[in-house]
Amino acid sequence: MPENNILENRKDFCPPNKTEAVFSSNSVRLSGYEWTFVGIVTLALFCFGPRLWERAEKYEPEPHYRLPYELSNDYWLYSRYSRLACSRNEILVIGDSVIWGHFVSKYDTLSECLNEIAGRDHFANLGVDGIHPVALAGLLKYYGHDISNKKVVLHFNPLWMSSRKHDLQTEKEFRFNHPRLVPQFIPNIPCYKDTYSKRFSAVVERYVPLLSWTSHLNITYFENMDLPTWTLEHPYENPASAVTFELSTSANNSQSEHISWTEKGTAKMDFQWVELETSLQWNFFRQSVKLLKKRGNSVFVLVGPFNEHMLKGESIEIYRKMKSKIEDWLQQNNIAYYMPPTLPSELYVDASHPMSEGYVMLSKQLFENESFRTSILTPSPKPRSVGDYSSGDFASSDAKIDFSR
Amino acid sequence: MLFHTWPFALFFIIVYPAYLALKNTKLRVPWLLAASYFFYACFNPLYLILISYSTLLDYTVVMKMAKSARRKMWLSISIVNNLGLLGFFKYSGFVTDNLNFLLSSLGIPYVLPAPGIILPVGISFYVFQSMSYTIDYYRGNIEREMSFIRYATFVSLFPRLVAGPIERAKNLLPQLHKPPKVSIQDIADGLSLFVVGFFKKVALADYMALYVDRVYDAPEQFQAPALVLATFLFSWQIYFDFSGYTDMARGVARMMGFRLMLNFNNPYLATGLGDFWSRWHISLSSWFKDYVYIPLGGNRKGKFNTYRNMFLTMVISGLWHGAAWTFVIWGALHALGRFCTRELERTPFYKERAPKLVKQLLVFIFVSFAWIFFRAETISDAWVIVTRIFSSGLANPYCPLLALALVFAVWLYQFAYESKLKWVLELRAVRVGIVLLLVFYLAVFAPASEKGFIYLQF
Repeated sequence: MPENNILENRKDFCPPNKTEAVFSSNSVRLSGYEWTFVGIVTLALFCFGPRLWERAEKYEPEPHYRLPYELSNDYWLYSRYSRLACSRNEILVIGDSVIWGHFVSKYDTLSECLNEIAGRDHFANLGVDGIHPVALAGLLKYYGHDISNKKVVLHFNPLWMSSRKHDLQTEKEFRFNHPRLVPQFIPNIPCYKDTYSKRFSAVVERYVPLLSWTSHLNITYFENMDLPTWTLEHPYENPASAVTFELSTSANNSQSEHISWTEKGTAKMDFQWVELETSLQWNFFRQSVKLLKKRGNSVFVLVGPFNEHMLKGESIEIYRKMKSKIEDWLQQNNIAYYMPPTLPSELYVDASHPMSEGYVMLSKQLFENESFRTSILTPSPKPRSVGDYSSGDFASSDAKIDFSR
Repeated sequence: MLFHTWPFALFFIIVYPAYLALKNTKLRVPWLLAASYFFYACFNPLYLILISYSTLLDYTVVMKMAKSARRKMWLSISIVNNLGLLGFFKYSGFVTDNLNFLLSSLGIPYVLPAPGIILPVGISFYVFQSMSYTIDYYRGNIEREMSFIRYATFVSLFPRLVAGPIERAKNLLPQLHKPPKVSIQDIADGLSLFVVGFFKKVALADYMALYVDRVYDAPEQFQAPALVLATFLFSWQIYFDFSGYTDMARGVARMMGFRLMLNFNNPYLATGLGDFWSRWHISLSSWFKDYVYIPLGGNRKGKFNTYRNMFLTMVISGLWHGAAWTFVIWGALHALGRFCTRELERTPFYKERAPKLVKQLLVFIFVSFAWIFFRAETISDAWVIVTRIFSSGLANPYCPLLALALVFAVWLYQFAYESKLKWVLELRAVRVGIVLLLVFYLAVFAPASEKGFIYLQF
């Protein structure tokens, strides 16, 4: 083929290019020094961005505060709240929806009932709705650094061991709460099947505050969506206007109807309890206890009160044996604890959540419990605002409780 | 394992330092091959059988060709095998569907079973690259590669393995022969390319996809404005997606001391369809030019033959993209567009007096229209979209203004880049400022993306 013909062909079909030599089709080409500058600025953004944001974003939780339900997945805010609670409150009450108060208003949670008896705001509600022990261990480990040298009431809800599914042991994939807090690789959680990319992303987010802060932005201001998805729902709105710098400080209402299980007509159940020795949830609960103690906290474990009225068949016996083993472990490890007797049947909403009257009764029982008094109510060596508790004080506080609520 | 995901970051963190440590030793190429095969196996370990077979076959064919007088026979074996691989894995479902349609049209009560074959990722890319090696050797354009390991690395080099650029042996093999010089500027350049590509994919392409998928998944539920905007955004989505991939591939390769060819050169600034194809997927269009269009006769035998050759090349190019009639129509439309712009460009008025911007907009509108057939699942879907664009109402499209603003910002940048204002974009403050903006947006607003690249399905 003659040379001029080849050239003509090239020109016709695809003009000659010198693409091997071309760097790019834009001017974004930085030198090593320029990249160093970009690296420093980026590092500054990663290090100081979230901290600066804290200064700009107003966050003044009121006394009866609990993390708003819709912000349950905002671990950056949890970290911020726990830091605040540590500076304001003497005692932190940590746990799942039983502590958070899924079926009761923010004034009727366990921590509020305890505050009412104490007559002061000593107890902070650090419960997170829907969190299970495996996730709670992750939350405390990665977002609860500030919970140190405090008094902690840590709740254990046996419901998480009531089936292999609750215990995250089924092979079949299912969507459980707070997957970003559970171990992503080791130990393997059989029902957790997220892609490696998502798992890596979850791991990185734990160590890079900027990433959990961006989740905070999404959850708080963009209706739990990322910015692109939010603009799809609000195509003509200015995203900047959605960032109000104001956080919801109240989570007043209960998330579900406050009706006892007997009134609802819920049937008794035969729970398929998992073995304590092999339970993933129990294993991680123990890790949480150890972690909190390692951080210098005085830990008091509250187990239940589980609704034994709801159990039928062999499951009552198995549950009691399991409870006994839990008690053994707590004793062997010198951990202060309380296993309250089952509340009256009508004071439960379901298998594990008390009615508001149930919380009142539970808090009263706690204040009467010797172990609770000595480990939690005894003034700490560095008192901030806690008075000197005595049985008499509690008795007088008891008198103030309004059982009619 | 996609460039914009954490597993790739981990992979690269392990592979790259070892590569730098080995780059002046004999282990450099084997290490690259091992890394590339591992990279490919992460998609599906069985794919390794296929790529090994293709590589071994073409290596052997060229070896035989070197020692045999029947060179053409060996070339034919290579081409038949490579096209056979593509045909089996990519087109068997398409052929079966069409045969079944034919049988039912003829009233024959027999249905061929669906082959149910999974299309291996990247097969169209590495088969073409491997085939170009045998053809180039046959033509005497390149030397035979003696080392099998080196040849296998040329075929499978991980940055470009699954979606190109389709490199020529003439460009890439020599780079594998000598130890690379990886300077600080290479690393800086690689980072520059990677960050831009990452932004294109994660912040732009995946964003556009949200709206495009919503509309194209149920086109009958949307009216003209939404369909037009979705088509407009798809034009940019596919550009950002594929050129983003290429930028990242080139960036990774650059950091390792390899120079891969430019694959996209601001295609939506093209003033004609020929110009468009010299800017869009350049490695593929030049492959088709060299191995299909010119062997067909190119423009040597008059206008009719030239247009016939162009038409065939474009239709084959359409089929390369996917085994469906929508891709054939897309290719045919482009062929038609090329005839028109080629003829227009020969008229003095269009050539000299028509404003450049008008030409650019016309080409963009035409290319966007053709994308409808590329994106639609079926011809009937495409037809629904086309008819509804011209016949449905003007309901609110609810298209995110931010997405449109980002697209226009990029378009303006490209216009400026190819204008007298280019010097402004080259100012240090502008370059660094842009990178900071990209990094900030990626860090704060872009969601963690796992969405695959569009071109991986080809």
